[in-house]
Amino acid sequence: MNAAIVGIGATDFSKNSGRSELQLAAEAVRAALTDAGLEPSDVDGLVSFTMDTNAEIAVARELGIPELTFFSRIHYGGGAACATVQQAAMAVATGAAKVVVCYRAFNERSGHRFGQVQTAAAANIDNSWSYPMGLGTPAAMVAMFARRYMHEYGATSEDFGRIAVIDRKHAATNPHAWFHNRPITLDDHQASRWIAEPLRLLDCCQETDGGVALVVTSAEHARDLPNKPAHIKAATQGSAVDQFTMTSYYRDDLTRLPEMGVVARGLWKRSGIGPSDVDVAVLYDHFTPFVLVQLEELGFCGRGEARDFVASGALELDGDLPLNPHGGQLGEAYLHGMNGIAEGVRQVRGTAVNQVGGVEHVLVTAGTGVPTSGLVLGQG
Amino acid sequence: MRIGDSLPEWHVEATPTFVISTAIATRDFQDVHHDRDLAIKRGSKDIFINILTTTGLVQRYVTDWAGPEALVRQVNIRLGAPCYAYDTLKFFGQVVERENQELTVEVVGRTGHGDHVTGVVKIEVPA
Amino acid sequence: MTDKSAIEKEAARIAERGESAPRLARDPVNLPMINNWLEAIGDQHPGYTEVAPPAMVQVWTMGGLHGQRTSDDPLGAMMAILDEAGFTSVVATNSDQTYHRYLRVGEHVSVTSTLEDVTGPKKTALGEGWFVTTRSTWYVGDEPVAEMRFRVLKCRPAEKPAPQPEAPRAQAIRPAINRDTEYFWEGCKQGELRIQRCGGCGLLRHPPGPMCPECGATKPKYLVSDGRGVVYSYVVHHHPQVPGKQTPFVVALVELDEGVRMLFELDGEPSIGLPVEVVFTKIDDELTMPSWRPRADR
Repeated sequence: MNAAIVGIGATDFSKNSGRSELQLAAEAVRAALTDAGLEPSDVDGLVSFTMDTNAEIAVARELGIPELTFFSRIHYGGGAACATVQQAAMAVATGAAKVVVCYRAFNERSGHRFGQVQTAAAANIDNSWSYPMGLGTPAAMVAMFARRYMHEYGATSEDFGRIAVIDRKHAATNPHAWFHNRPITLDDHQASRWIAEPLRLLDCCQETDGGVALVVTSAEHARDLPNKPAHIKAATQGSAVDQFTMTSYYRDDLTRLPEMGVVARGLWKRSGIGPSDVDVAVLYDHFTPFVLVQLEELGFCGRGEARDFVASGALELDGDLPLNPHGGQLGEAYLHGMNGIAEGVRQVRGTAVNQVGGVEHVLVTAGTGVPTSGLVLGQG
Repeated sequence: MRIGDSLPEWHVEATPTFVISTAIATRDFQDVHHDRDLAIKRGSKDIFINILTTTGLVQRYVTDWAGPEALVRQVNIRLGAPCYAYDTLKFFGQVVERENQELTVEVVGRTGHGDHVTGVVKIEVPA
Repeated sequence: MTDKSAIEKEAARIAERGESAPRLARDPVNLPMINNWLEAIGDQHPGYTEVAPPAMVQVWTMGGLHGQRTSDDPLGAMMAILDEAGFTSVVATNSDQTYHRYLRVGEHVSVTSTLEDVTGPKKTALGEGWFVTTRSTWYVGDEPVAEMRFRVLKCRPAEKPAPQPEAPRAQAIRPAINRDTEYFWEGCKQGELRIQRCGGCGLLRHPPGPMCPECGATKPKYLVSDGRGVVYSYVVHHHPQVPGKQTPFVVALVELDEGVRMLFELDGEPSIGLPVEVVFTKIDDELTMPSWRPRADR
């Protein structure tokens, strides 16, 4: 694609921001524009999540963005993350806009917490097959998949825990991470309380107040801007057969994430690279079991083999496939995957705190268990 | 140790064991500091740290930084959000005044719910 | 006489009494208690072998497990008055301690208190309340060794709905029901577990929908299931609380003998492959909920 991410910006990541979601969005967008070397008046497109409470026009008002020729929203929670960049890239490629900012901001800890049972969501007819039965939190919905995955492949709670240990290890050396300086051991993971068996507390991502924004423009325009661009090598969305939001329980196989398989096929085809060409993987990690399934769907290992792949040390910073060097959403912050894209950009620029050497390609994925999206970012 | 110097950030994991053992070590037997059922019944989310412990933690934060030769002259604290079991209490501090050997250090202890404690500690350091 | 002036009058009366009689600590300053304190706080300061950590000063004179306030204790007297006026909750808000010198092991401290200030009623995040400030002085013999201004907030707890120890089923989340799904819930009311069956090609389908993904027909019918199947996967839910449920509880995804999967709560010890059958529980005239129980003949 003829587009690149040229600016990234974020607020602090906290448990109680003390300000409105609109202020967080405005601060993140302004920071991203400053990073890109652009002015609000340069922006003519905005993209966010359907779930975001900050209307494009409200963000434009706060920033003093005078005119917009493109605005768009993506559905399905965290599955939207990489798709916001896809929307922006398509807008830039078609001439619908020149400079598009993707943003996501919320008080997800001090305000509306996704980890609680959302009784209002029960009004959705799809949810009438889960919420009234007591299945009403994302953790519990993922736990249903995880239990079957354990049953079929012999995976254990410790196999899930290794993902948490890696994320927290990487977060421990990232000063922006909530869990900076606070690594955990596998024993800590095993000692943490049950949330929804087989998921423990430390299998679940944090809840965060904060905002992240990304500036997308054409590759040509990117050449005139101060930062090394992170080129969008491929971007795609994915949904698969008999798809539900978090509760796709009626497919033949409950150990897979076929929508991520759709994303994987699209990314490899459009970028011309394959799993072995990926230098850094930023995989969506709201719950640890789905990181294992993603490794399989994306082709980094065979079905049921993710636990051995993880135990081999491949995901360490000096391993074959460094995972979430910023600490992921378990370690850095839960920003619906947008902070992971920002980390992908830093890895391409060579400016990450836990920088991996010689990065050519970064893979970033969005929310799992929902219709999702993915990105391959790379050098020019 | 000059005005503006920051103390290194310090994290305390307020495990139930920590909340209870410090309450007992400070001879504070109020049920909200050791009995979760009663704490919840009284409207709390969980058991929480008692004020004598917070005073102790603030003193320790400053003396850990200043060294064992420093003499503590005053610990003034104001409490905000309770520090519940399973919270992480993060301490930050800064030197705000120095007069000869007398230093004034401002301290904040913060959890995910907000500021648990803000305080001022006066110490005397060796010449 | 208003509450406010009554409370202020009582406060003035207590303040006029001045300093309470010295109350002696249970024990002299001693190493075992110092070491317990250091261990709990995690303080590795090497200097507390002959003197006590200054922040322990209040510890020496705490009332203890069965402690009772002395009759002339001004804080206790003021609290009783506020309790009576309905300000029953107490939280400590300030502690300002000044240490004139470090206490040596073996010294026996005593403490006196005065009521310094009572202000209120004030609106706070915790509810309407009074701030009560006392001043305490610790002595070794006649020598004052430390002082403290201590402030508590005595408040009337903000009105909150009483906690519900029992979670009646009526509080549970009710299903959204529309034209495409009402046959299922109607079946539950009649004690039937219904599976959507395509009127065109006969495809069985759950959850249901208005158009058959196989043949495109829009005339769905249903068959009545035997209500038996085996557990395909399950979750034991612990946190957070779920309206109408007592944690922990089990939700099981069951593969029915007819081939489709359905997800309900399971009353029993779960395992994959466990044979189960459906049971129906009437919630009210509008709603009957299905759930699973282990099969007796397994």
